[in-house]
Amino acid sequence: MIRTLRRYEFSAAHVLARSDWSDERNRAVYGKCANPAGHGHNYRFELTLEGAGPSGDALDAIVRSRVLDELDARLLNREVAAFRLVVPTAENIARHIWDTLCVALEPARLTCVRLIETGNNSVEYFGS
Amino acid sequence: MLITRRMEFSASYRDASGATLGHNWELEVTLAGPVDGETGMLIDLKDLKSVLEREVEARFDHRCLNDDTPYFRDRAPTPERFASLLFELLDKALPSGLLHRVRLSPTRDLTIEVTR
Repeated sequence: MIRTLRRYEFSAAHVLARSDWSDERNRAVYGKCANPAGHGHNYRFELTLEGAGPSGDALDAIVRSRVLDELDARLLNREVAAFRLVVPTAENIARHIWDTLCVALEPARLTCVRLIETGNNSVEYFGS
Repeated sequence: MLITRRMEFSASYRDASGATLGHNWELEVTLAGPVDGETGMLIDLKDLKSVLEREVEARFDHRCLNDDTPYFRDRAPTPERFASLLFELLDKALPSGLLHRVRLSPTRDLTIEVTR
């Protein structure tokens, strides 16, 4: 079995808050991450791919057009449709990247999206 | 979904020859579970951080594993035993079954990984 691990970076701002909750409740659940003015991260993510499929420049072009162009230098809550109603937690961003790329990368099999939010926090999503 | 929190702490210990050594230990704690549909989080990282502060930092940071903790009075604090102990302590402190893996690195060249 040969696996490809390919890494990308983007910078984005987010607010962890639900629009259907009060400021107090958002502050209680999400703490300082609920600041309505937003805060930002240099996100990195790593795709694990198995089997034949797009690689090199072709892989990068797919990821750029479908993920990086959508997320880089954005305020995720306001500028990315997927996060209008879904809170852009690291977990939900990883799932969004998976949902965006899974079919686009066929016939390669996407087996993991690892999203690194800070040097100390990361999540991994395997499609379920 | 997996979520991983990384931390460092400093602790000393005596090896089999009686020499005292110290490391900046790097600890990676990984939890596995479903994402809460309401909050979009597997666990509140603030809660995970406070568990790590209580269970790891408060017990071991700037301590001598042999003298300042009760766990290694009668047995040598090998990295394997220390990693297993951290897994046990964190497994008890976290919501049931959530702990997936502990990775403990005494130096950048050695990592001990403990899973269930």
